[in-house]
Amino acid sequence: MLSLGVVLVAGMAQSQAREGRLLRLDPDARLAPDQRTAALAAGRRVFRAQCAGCHGPDGRGDTGYGAPNLADRDWLYGTGAVGEIEQTIAYGIRSHQPKGWNLADMPAFGAPRPSAKERLDPLSPGDIGDVIAFLSARRGATASAEAVARGRAIYQGRGGCYDCHGGDAAGDPAIGAPNLIDAVWLYGDGSPPSVFRSIAQGRRGVMPGFAGRLSAVQLRQVSLYVKSLSEAP
Amino acid sequence: MTATAPPAAGVAWLDIRTVHPRRALILMGAGAGLGLVLAGAALFTAKGTTTLVVPADAVAMVNQQPISRIDFDGQLRALAVDPAKATPAMRRQVLNDMIREELYVQRAKELDVGLVDPEVRSAMVKAVEAQAAADAITSKPDSAELRGFYDKHRDKYASEGVMVVRDLVFPPAAAAQARTALAAGAAPEVVATRFGGRDTGKTSGEEFYFAARIHLGEALFTAARALKTGEVSEAIADADGAHLLVMARNTPPAQYDFETARAQVATDYQAAAVARYQGAEDGFLRRRANVLVAKDLK
Repeated sequence: MLSLGVVLVAGMAQSQAREGRLLRLDPDARLAPDQRTAALAAGRRVFRAQCAGCHGPDGRGDTGYGAPNLADRDWLYGTGAVGEIEQTIAYGIRSHQPKGWNLADMPAFGAPRPSAKERLDPLSPGDIGDVIAFLSARRGATASAEAVARGRAIYQGRGGCYDCHGGDAAGDPAIGAPNLIDAVWLYGDGSPPSVFRSIAQGRRGVMPGFAGRLSAVQLRQVSLYVKSLSEAP
Repeated sequence: MTATAPPAAGVAWLDIRTVHPRRALILMGAGAGLGLVLAGAALFTAKGTTTLVVPADAVAMVNQQPISRIDFDGQLRALAVDPAKATPAMRRQVLNDMIREELYVQRAKELDVGLVDPEVRSAMVKAVEAQAAADAITSKPDSAELRGFYDKHRDKYASEGVMVVRDLVFPPAAAAQARTALAAGAAPEVVATRFGGRDTGKTSGEEFYFAARIHLGEALFTAARALKTGEVSEAIADADGAHLLVMARNTPPAQYDFETARAQVATDYQAAAVARYQGAEDGFLRRRANVLVAKDLK
């Protein structure tokens, strides 16, 4: 009995020491193989319990909800560093937590007042169609030259799209503004009607913050696991 | 008193009716060991426990308040420094700044600056509201809950209607003839010229319903909305003459099915939950508070 207690205490101490070592490491540091295997296994359990509901059991996301695919190499927020992932998981996105990501919303340009934060005028259906034509052309698709020119003027002018998505429409991971000229879609399938809905109705997806609900070591483990999803061959 | 033969060793260990000194000693030791483990765990995890050790998830303890490692990394990153490449001097600088901030926050609590500084008071109100809102969105609603919400607010999940309409105004006496010509398919420009009318220019091409309502005004918009593609309205009298609306295309709002509206439903569901939580927080604070109002303001 006593020896069982000693083993138990020793096991707990060892586990705490292991977790402490993991936490004190730089989030993006290369881990020893056994340390990495253990962290990923624990991270997978946390992911299945807390994240799979939105991002799916394989982390491939859900474009119906705007839950990003975590298994590709496209990062909506940040550059995919484990520390950044950890911060996002801890504090969320538009989660009402002061330390969460909450810098930009996609305005609803098909509404009388597109944005609560910015002074922007609504766009007409034709305007939205022109912006879609401009973005399609940027992706290499064929579109009417007049529509593309009008769309470019709106994108760079009164639509204010460039402000978040960048002059080149390649997005800005510092504020979670998606790249509009790649083949990755956060909402819908990238078809004109689906892009029209995003522009007309706006988007402001929410991810809750998990600080306080997950321990520091769980946050680190699940962040490592999320990063590993994008590293799979 | 009768003497009984001592039971066999194995039986005595398990028989709780028999006093067994070794068992008592071992159980006492195990209990003490368990107590120590629990105390040790509490020492390192319980809030408010004084410790001389910096926990692994913190970079410093300031009067027992941890400075989180995640926040420290975040601060380094905010300086555009990859934490892995930050020099020791940078790390020390960031840490010192964070310790200083924590010291000042603690001092602010001692001084109760929230009582006097309007900005701090406002920030505190916002922080409590935000906390209630954050609590509201911690769980993801399941599909049935979302569908229930969608069914309850079905009208909200439709595309905005779109119309292409022209608003022509004529002298009242010519309106009937102009309408007949327009209904027969004559071009609006031709009819306007022929019957002394003009295009008001209130609308410009394809417009969402909300924009057409703003541009046309409520009365004309209501009439326009009822028109089908290709139809011409009855004459609508106004101060500047008789208006005829020519509907080139009218696409009424179309209901989105649940799958199409799912992202919007989820956002609205969470917004409603946030409003509910904040209302509940407001109610709770008022219920437990002792608020006395001056007689003249009752």
